[in-house]
Amino acid sequence: MMHPLKWPLFALPALALLSLPASAGQNVEWKDDGTVLIKLGEAYNNAVIQTTREELGTEFGPDKQPFKDVTISVTVNGAGPKGGISGPLYQFRPIWEELSGGKLNIVELPFAEHYTKMMLDLRNGTGQYDAFMVGAFWYGDIAPAGYAFPIDELNKSGKYPKWTYDDMPDSLRALHQWKGVGYGVLNDGDGQVLYYRSDVLADKTHQEAFKKEYGYDLPNPPQTWQQLLDVSKYFNGKNWDATDADPDSGTVLHLKVGEQGHYHFQTLSSSFVLNPGDKVTRTKNVYWFDPEDMKPLINSPGHVKALEFLQELHKTGPQAQVGWSLGEAWDYFLRGKAVFAFSWGDLGALCQDESRSKVKGKCSATAIPSSTEYYDFEKKDFVKLDQPRLVGNTVGGSWHGVISNFSANPEAAYSLLSLMAIKPASKLMATVGWDGVDPGFKYQFLKEDGGTAEVEDYVKAGWDANDAKSYVHAYQQVFTAPVMMPYLRIPGSFEYWDILDKNLSATMSGSKTAQQALDETAQSWEAVTDRIGRDKQKADYQAAIGYTP
Amino acid sequence: MRWTGKIRFLFLAPAVIWVLAFTVFPLGYSLYLAFYKIEQKVEVKREKQPMLDAAGQPVLDDAGQPRTKNVVIKEQVNTATFIGLDNFKRMLTDTQVHEAVRVTLTFVLIAVPLELVLGFLLAVLFNQHIFGRPILRAFMILPIFATPLAVGYTFFTIFYEVGGPLAWTGIPFLSNPTWALMSVIIVDVWQWTPFCFLVFLAALQGVPDELYEAARVDGANAWDMLKEVMLPLLIPTIVIVLLLRMAEALKLFDIPFALTGGGPGVATQPFSMLAFRTGLRFFDLGYASAMSYAFLAVIMIVITLFFRRLRANYG
Repeated sequence: MMHPLKWPLFALPALALLSLPASAGQNVEWKDDGTVLIKLGEAYNNAVIQTTREELGTEFGPDKQPFKDVTISVTVNGAGPKGGISGPLYQFRPIWEELSGGKLNIVELPFAEHYTKMMLDLRNGTGQYDAFMVGAFWYGDIAPAGYAFPIDELNKSGKYPKWTYDDMPDSLRALHQWKGVGYGVLNDGDGQVLYYRSDVLADKTHQEAFKKEYGYDLPNPPQTWQQLLDVSKYFNGKNWDATDADPDSGTVLHLKVGEQGHYHFQTLSSSFVLNPGDKVTRTKNVYWFDPEDMKPLINSPGHVKALEFLQELHKTGPQAQVGWSLGEAWDYFLRGKAVFAFSWGDLGALCQDESRSKVKGKCSATAIPSSTEYYDFEKKDFVKLDQPRLVGNTVGGSWHGVISNFSANPEAAYSLLSLMAIKPASKLMATVGWDGVDPGFKYQFLKEDGGTAEVEDYVKAGWDANDAKSYVHAYQQVFTAPVMMPYLRIPGSFEYWDILDKNLSATMSGSKTAQQALDETAQSWEAVTDRIGRDKQKADYQAAIGYTP
Repeated sequence: MRWTGKIRFLFLAPAVIWVLAFTVFPLGYSLYLAFYKIEQKVEVKREKQPMLDAAGQPVLDDAGQPRTKNVVIKEQVNTATFIGLDNFKRMLTDTQVHEAVRVTLTFVLIAVPLELVLGFLLAVLFNQHIFGRPILRAFMILPIFATPLAVGYTFFTIFYEVGGPLAWTGIPFLSNPTWALMSVIIVDVWQWTPFCFLVFLAALQGVPDELYEAARVDGANAWDMLKEVMLPLLIPTIVIVLLLRMAEALKLFDIPFALTGGGPGVATQPFSMLAFRTGLRFFDLGYASAMSYAFLAVIMIVITLFFRRLRANYG
């Protein structure tokens, strides 16, 4: 007979067992009512994602491990377990391993080597990696060559965690597909918006002084690039931020060669160049090449004017930014040293991280400004605009998973990528700064912008309500603008951009004029096009931008 | 005797295979690439095959259906088109190549003489009896052991223009094209002067004391001794160090890679970085091979001329 004092030893575990849900693993809890709780780790403040069996698909279940003993390898830009894009893979690894029974090998590669390693694996058909977290500008090299695994069938099968391209604005959806076939799994939405110091622009003393100097009201926020330049010039060199004794800047940029400076030019120049129209024609909605003969448009008067403008704007920031990567420029803005930065969604989320940022609650965002004139390719002249005209953009990588066509386990790889793409997971990740996952999907936008998110979702994640509102609204506008900056996705995109990047950097450092830099870019692009094959490039370019001859 | 020959061959075989596989074959293959345009294509087919357990029985899923696995069948289809000297001709009109040659030559012509002069002066200093010489000498040679890539990143923080330790100078170390190249040179000089110093010091310490004493007796001052005793005796060493440093400096890669990324623009992009990017970023392997061979030819010519001069002077 059991001693009465020993009863609790057995009774407590028994009680605990009775109160347990249908099935509870370390990371996933399956409830009897069909809900499933997914427990994230410390990096996400132990957040719990609530989903359903239905949403997780038929392959995953309490007693199912469909990929037992399967190991998959996924490459990602190296940023560590709490870094942009790589971080979420680490956080979801134990969850996926519990659900699938498989093993996930995360292969972190420095940004500079990621593309090379991926292409070597694909060109040689090695199949060493099952999936890659790619930038959308790599599609031109992987999709037409048949290196990527089409995922539409898996997506529609109902077997795997559910997400849909319908949640993406058309601009982002296009980046995940090639000729209408889906290859990319929803993850990150990249585009540049304008961040500004709301407190500084609202300052009465500065408003009066600005009006006196420039003859018009200080625009809060600026709607045009020309206004932004005036405001930047006004604030540059003044100590408008009282946190230190040093003078502060107008606009901060990241212009280091070989990094992401050319995106600044793309974003800024789009409204100087793009001719609006209902569809893509030889002169409307084109930016990179003439779709009829692949002659570069990059040295058009619109592009040149935009680059000259960028040179002017660059003077309202620190000279050192010519050698700055993203991190240094963001840090400068977060330390309260610049009024403006135009960059990706990460910056808005990082503003909320008080361990890095002094600008929480003062970090507003707005859609990217536009130029007051653009170069008309038909009239061969500049057209003045009465009203600002928003040109949206998806510049950046929109980093997301693509499965290798040489993978022996595409289903397993897909199950991982789609697990991270389910609505509640994607919604949560977009609210967090460190993970590099930026908003862009309908359920991340606010209800008033046609989405399903609420400001409280962001406030719960530690956001200032006003910052969050302006941020999500700015992204909604930039991704759904009637005129969009076309994305370059043809074979050799990386090389075309590299040539442009080097010439832009030379211009910013003063060794070339804007005209000279863009003329040399055009000349080098012609050589690349000829080398890869003009007809082949033309066909891929037309497919990529949706041009019908 | 026959057995001895076979055994000798067996002992040599690993080294021969190694050299053939990792030196001769890549050299030959890259030469082939330089004259051909290669188009690589892989055709992929997939087959579903039943999964079998350890006993060879089909593995069933929850619905009792046999589970399948993917089998990927790949076929590599490469087409090679002979293009003759096209890749070499292309270099003549490629502005990036011209710029990279200019950067490399500027770097070599400034950094190497500086390293030699500084190394020599330091060696002369350390050849005297100075306080704490062994410890100072040990400190002096530490930079040689640092990884160039790490050195590049370390100097990136030192040259950081906003808030870096040298920010007070107001010098645009990394954002101005001329200064960026100077920064690369400064870092290289910092790292490789100790090497020159070490070799020169060893050579100086090998000079017999009698020669200095004889010179002193003849009334030579310090400058005379440097000019008439040390330098002539050190010429062979100086030429060897010059050769080694030139060969190494012409291959400059790591420091600008980490420090400036080759920028601003292409202001610090040396030839080897351009060849690397052409081959492994843009997969223009034929052109990258042609560049590498042209580069190899230049280095070989320079080195051969030096050796010829050396042999002529010193037998």
